[in-house]
Amino acid sequence: MSDQNNQQDLLVVDQIHTFIGQFHILESVSLSVAKGSITVMLGRNGAGKTTTLKSILGLTPPREGKIIFDGMEIQGKRAFNIANLGIGYVPEHRAIFRALSVLENLKLAERKKGDFDRNADFIFNLFPDLKRLYKLPGNHLSGGQQQMLAVARALVPDNKLLLIDEPSEGLAPILIQQMMEAIRVLSEKTTILLVEQNFIMASQLALNYTIIDDGKSVQSGLMADLVNDPELIHHYLGASIKTRKELEMNHESQD
Amino acid sequence: MAEKMIKPRSGLKGFIKKEAIFLIFIAIMIAFPFVLNIITGTGLNAGITKFWQGQLITFFIMAVFAMSYDLLIGYGGILSFGHAASFGGGAYAVALLLKHWAPNILSNYRITIGNLDITEATVLLVVFLVVILVSVLIGLLFSATSIRLKGAYFAMLTLALGSAIHILSKATDFHKWTGADEGLHGVPLPVWLNPTQNRLTVYFIALGFLLLCYLVMNRMVNSPTGRVIVANRENEERMRMIGYNPVIYRTIAFLSASIFAGLAGALYAIWNMSATPTMTSTVTTINALIMTILGGMGTLVGPIIGAGIMQIIGQFFYTWFGARWPLVFGVLFVLIVMFLPYGIIGTWRLRKSSIKNNIQKFFRLFSKEK
Amino acid sequence: MNPRTKKILTLAISVVVVIGVIFALYLYAGKEPFIRTTLSGLTLGSLFFLVAAGLTLIFGLMDVLNFAHGSMFMLGAYMGWQLYTNPTFIFGLLPTILAFACGVMLTTVMKPYLIRWQISEKWQNALPKIAYALALFAAIVGFLGLDILGLAKTAMVAMTTSTAGNPLSEISSQEPLSVYWYRPLLMLISGLLVAFAVSKPGDKTEFAPKEKVLPKLVIPLVLLILTIVSTLIRESAPETLLLMNGNWRFLIAILLAVASGFLFGAITEMTLIRPLYVRSFFIVLLTLGLSYVIRELVQLLWDPLAYQMSRPPLFAQSGKAANLLDWLRNGYSTIDISGVTFPTYRLFVIFLGIVMFIFLILLMTKTRLGMIIRAGVQDPQMVEALGINVKKVFTVVFAMGVGMAALGGIGAGPFLPIQPQMGDQYLMQGFITVVIGGMGSYVGAFVGALILGMARAFGDYFALKLSLSPALAEASTVIIMIIVLLVRPQGLFGKKE
Repeated sequence: MSDQNNQQDLLVVDQIHTFIGQFHILESVSLSVAKGSITVMLGRNGAGKTTTLKSILGLTPPREGKIIFDGMEIQGKRAFNIANLGIGYVPEHRAIFRALSVLENLKLAERKKGDFDRNADFIFNLFPDLKRLYKLPGNHLSGGQQQMLAVARALVPDNKLLLIDEPSEGLAPILIQQMMEAIRVLSEKTTILLVEQNFIMASQLALNYTIIDDGKSVQSGLMADLVNDPELIHHYLGASIKTRKELEMNHESQD
Repeated sequence: MAEKMIKPRSGLKGFIKKEAIFLIFIAIMIAFPFVLNIITGTGLNAGITKFWQGQLITFFIMAVFAMSYDLLIGYGGILSFGHAASFGGGAYAVALLLKHWAPNILSNYRITIGNLDITEATVLLVVFLVVILVSVLIGLLFSATSIRLKGAYFAMLTLALGSAIHILSKATDFHKWTGADEGLHGVPLPVWLNPTQNRLTVYFIALGFLLLCYLVMNRMVNSPTGRVIVANRENEERMRMIGYNPVIYRTIAFLSASIFAGLAGALYAIWNMSATPTMTSTVTTINALIMTILGGMGTLVGPIIGAGIMQIIGQFFYTWFGARWPLVFGVLFVLIVMFLPYGIIGTWRLRKSSIKNNIQKFFRLFSKEK
Repeated sequence: MNPRTKKILTLAISVVVVIGVIFALYLYAGKEPFIRTTLSGLTLGSLFFLVAAGLTLIFGLMDVLNFAHGSMFMLGAYMGWQLYTNPTFIFGLLPTILAFACGVMLTTVMKPYLIRWQISEKWQNALPKIAYALALFAAIVGFLGLDILGLAKTAMVAMTTSTAGNPLSEISSQEPLSVYWYRPLLMLISGLLVAFAVSKPGDKTEFAPKEKVLPKLVIPLVLLILTIVSTLIRESAPETLLLMNGNWRFLIAILLAVASGFLFGAITEMTLIRPLYVRSFFIVLLTLGLSYVIRELVQLLWDPLAYQMSRPPLFAQSGKAANLLDWLRNGYSTIDISGVTFPTYRLFVIFLGIVMFIFLILLMTKTRLGMIIRAGVQDPQMVEALGINVKKVFTVVFAMGVGMAALGGIGAGPFLPIQPQMGDQYLMQGFITVVIGGMGSYVGAFVGALILGMARAFGDYFALKLSLSPALAEASTVIIMIIVLLVRPQGLFGKKE
């Protein structure tokens, strides 16, 4: 990677190896996220996408390799220290705190006093539902509302980078649209590293992509190039992903 | 024949080779009283020889108790704090029967054939069977609670159940039978079994008991059932899917551990000629736990070593540190949990190859060939 | 049936059952015994709650089953009792402990500089070890020749001599300052060495942003001042304390018991339990070993005897108060509650439990720490991902739980014999309470403690009436637990897994 590139990359992951117990989950994953853009991580189920996000955040610290965030080596640091450098995390399966109310969920994410008050308008504009529900406990929310809360939680502090894990998983199509819109708005404010199984959504949002297969990063580049390469899509992402033609059809019908 | 395929070293020769250390240990223990007698010249039933026989008898019995705990914790992965209930249950069964029931029988009926006292033998046999019955019942009680509960909940429940049994054993309501706080003392025993008059007999009975229990337990944990119990510990869900009912195997683990503990308790009661509430208390369970952890969980030999260290070293610690020697022991235990979690035997087995390598390296220094 | 109606129905049925049971007991026992037994039940329940609340919070957040909780209850009783009857033990050791803490607290100041130190990897490994060894050496030299057993020596105070007699009779003799002065100094050095080792000099994987040094210096500086002050007042303070009003002395004893429990809990969590979170099974063994060590240590210091702590003057005046005001004014030992004579001290224990429950409710619902705890019970990893130092929260919660157990211990001090095994029964009852209430729920702990306390009190009452021993009533509490577990395996307020 050239020095010039490094200047623009907010996050560089360089050949990390991560073990969970005795299992070698990540065997050399490298990727970079350009400042101010959306980068999407693609790959089959169990390829190691979620583990990559957790490794970046230090929840499953990598044993080897380097992670550079904002010009600073962060591998091996404690997760809360890494998060406090300005990384927000939206975990998969809508891991909101069910025992806490919506408001408490958001307040908990504050890093400094007043974070929430400062960004409340932005969050409630993005997800108007939450404003209505803010007193309810988390376990009373529907799946879509929980997902929105999970994203909203990452917006409370001013994060430089958001790691978003499968925001569309298990959502109704109309909610997927809403979520996509929200992420698009967010990308104007911060940098996003997205994990997404829904290729339509990924292809419309992301500028860059990285494909992870079997714990290794195998391919990365511009999303526009990938969309034009059905063979590559088919090879790494399996038959479940639709070809370009179908994609376009789908796109048209959605519009 | 089929078994031979699974176990490459079976048969007497293989057994001797595999259990060499244990057999050497038994041989030393057999010779011990006689050797000590020759060295000190005090006679087999007197002085230091008698004292150390007593120490070793306690050690043998506690070793069996610790091994039975290892069946639960090491092989079954079950953390129970009520194991002393089985131990004390066996002890109380023996003491109660020998004190309140046997004298009646023995004074009314007495049949002897030559030197053999048939009534006495029958009474002892009945006592023995009752001990097993009591242990089975206690084992069932504990395993029944484990059906619905796991992990920490279960550990807490066993502690509560064990404490309840301990409280009952010293409740004043049963003073007439159990002696409440003081326990049962002066249990009448036949002369040949009396530990003060015939200590050497009791010594060999206890040693034989240890040997027998070790062999049976060793066979058990290496049997298909034992393997299922171990597999259960690792992953219960998977075993259920394969078609093994984990509840049944957990119950087997509980029952066998309980029976061995009950027998150990029974022998302990005979050796002390008493049964006291201490035998049912959590402290007794914790002692077994410490012995097991010290020697190494899931090894069977480990608990024996742990019991030995606790009993024999305890003697020396007592002279070095006074009455508060368990403090040193407790600190040692904490350090072992923190730095040697697999115990002495476990750590040794883990590092066996590296230790062997080092020894070989050492010898290679002296050999001229490269 | 939809879950909501089902919930309401269960609630209604349980309320009816509870009222029915209370009414039946009232009819059977009669008014006076009923009130007396209920009050006894509340007293016991209050103590059970103090033990169980810590257990349940610690288990809920960290999955740690603390078997040393009973010992910590006992330790609280001993510390409070020592301060109340013979404070020389505490004041004799306080300067050394404070000095050590001051040294250790300087870690945060030293760390940012030390980890940027350029040294080879060999030294990175060796330096902390050398520092630890030197710290141990300094500590041993610091304590060498200090007659700790002599400081701890306390007579068995009979309850009757509490108000009369010379309060200074218990004081142990201490070394003069000219001999003592180097001990805190050595402990300070020892603490500094530990801080040096903990900072991991030269370790680049460690992370500590360089911030302003001054705010970090506040705590060590305060500790240093306290060390100096406590060194100077070491000889005069015990006397002053013993001559002051017994009620204030008791309040200080309570505060000290809680503080020592808190500190002990924090240190235990940081040094012993933290390395074992990855092997949670061994934490149980560790806490067991710890309870063993604590008990032996206490027996070493105070011998395996049962001591009687005298009641503070507010509860000591023999006589019967007509009402609360009368009691507070004259400090009678008993009070009249609608025709029943009840010891005032036990009323105080009930009050203690209720205060702590309210404190917990406020803490859990109104503060950020409570929010973090409730979130952490569900998913500690995600809390960490939000940028919150979960390990610190673990330490605080553990320390708080132990502090509450210690509060229970000193609360029980004036009416239970103070002896090494006094915590065992409370540990067992605490476990039963937690199982009944549901792990991780402090409300469950409160309700469970209430149920168990009542069961114990009424069990004792019936046992007495049927001329059985109270031991049977104690053993039968297990039956309540088994019934609850059969109906609701996760406990009354537990969440289904």
